[in-house]
Amino acid sequence: MTRSIAVAYAVARKDLTSEWRTRELVPALGQFVVLALVIANFGFQIDSQNATVIAPGVLWLALVFAGLVAFGRAFAAEREQASLEAMLLTPASAAAIFAGKAIAAALLLIACEAVLLPALALMFGTPFNAELVAAVLIATVGMAALGCLFAAMVARVRSREVLLPLLTLPLWIPFIVAGGQAVQVAMGASGSYNQAVALLIDFDILFVVLTSLAARFVLDD
Amino acid sequence: MIYLVVAYVVAVLILGGFLWLSLGTLRELSARASGQK
Amino acid sequence: MTRYTRLVAAAVLLMLVAGALIFFYAPEDFLQKEPQRIFYLHVSAAIAAFACFAVVLGASIAYLRTESLRADRLARAAALVGVVLTTVTLVMGMLYAKPIWGKFWTWDARLTSTLVLWIIYAGYLLLRRLAEPGRQAARFAAVVGIFGFVDVPIVYFSVTWWRTQHPGPVIISDALPPQMLFVFLVTMACTLFLAAVMVAIRYQIETLTDEVPSPVVQLVGTQREPEPAR
Repeated sequence: MTRSIAVAYAVARKDLTSEWRTRELVPALGQFVVLALVIANFGFQIDSQNATVIAPGVLWLALVFAGLVAFGRAFAAEREQASLEAMLLTPASAAAIFAGKAIAAALLLIACEAVLLPALALMFGTPFNAELVAAVLIATVGMAALGCLFAAMVARVRSREVLLPLLTLPLWIPFIVAGGQAVQVAMGASGSYNQAVALLIDFDILFVVLTSLAARFVLDD
Repeated sequence: MIYLVVAYVVAVLILGGFLWLSLGTLRELSARASGQK
Repeated sequence: MTRYTRLVAAAVLLMLVAGALIFFYAPEDFLQKEPQRIFYLHVSAAIAAFACFAVVLGASIAYLRTESLRADRLARAAALVGVVLTTVTLVMGMLYAKPIWGKFWTWDARLTSTLVLWIIYAGYLLLRRLAEPGRQAARFAAVVGIFGFVDVPIVYFSVTWWRTQHPGPVIISDALPPQMLFVFLVTMACTLFLAAVMVAIRYQIETLTDEVPSPVVQLVGTQREPEPAR
């Protein structure tokens, strides 16, 4: 057990340091997210009345698309495939390797959120509070696990840019539904925040378990 | 009502078309298989 | 070969019998009038589609555990038939919705999760086409088949939950008088038989495709020749 944790930690660290060295993905995602907000403003004609109604939708749209870009890129590199194969030759279990990659992917997504949430509050004038951040972070766990699994799958397939959203988005829908509701309530709408977050946690548990079980079929060659 | 008619016509076209195409593919594949043996 | 033609003939005949019942025996609905007759095939197709995807689930699990080629073929066959049946369900559903609710589409739980179902298994078929044929395609598709099947009830539940937060249009209850129930059950049985025949034919096609090495032009197919690595 501790060995698996050590493996996962090592893999996550490796992924994050290689991203830190090149520093190409996170700034690009940050820019993408801000641009998405700018476009939303023109597309929706945001004013002080409708901001809290539209903002949750904009948040999830921007996050989902940034997530797809992030996951698509994270597995794409050639050296990524080679190092993955090398890792699989070691006695480390595929689930542990997958956990490491998913953690790194989750942190990438959180980096996007760190730009998105303040920018959203700033540009749309919506509330920025602990409930909002908590809901988004909780949803990130499950979304990262799913995104990571399908990105790994799609990395070795043709037309992955088309296939990744097609496979991942249907599975992200429950997170967007519950997360959307939680964010709406955090921003002032009526409804049950606790129910929404409880659902998110349930989804997290379910999909983390399922993706861990599926990992060895996807990573193995 | 036109919706009723269109609904069943479309259903027949989709299901019938799929059956017809599948039988055709099966025929062709079977011919190939027996031709090669 | 003729065995399959006979099966198709039997299935078509049964569907014609069901059709006769739907149009000439079933009573007209008091509230919804004629368009209500769409319901018989629309719901039967939906149930047959779910049955197909349950087969995909079972075959996918079997494949991951045993790497049985037959399980993979069955999954391929059932997925394609399931997508065709879901298409019928969605189209008939939209044509049913328009006269009854006034619009072709609403985002209620059933419609939404059926659409998601269609998208997931269309993705399954696309993945099979694009992935390297053989073990990789089979494994990945099996994972998608399993996740997809799990996801649909969750989406249905999420949307239902969401709807209780934001009440939407009320769906008419499904209580059926005995004559209608009879026609529905007959239609459903005939449709399930038709679905089984379609899966059997596709299964045979998949078997022959696996065994015959030369490229075959298929108008509706899931396999193609492996292309050189990108």
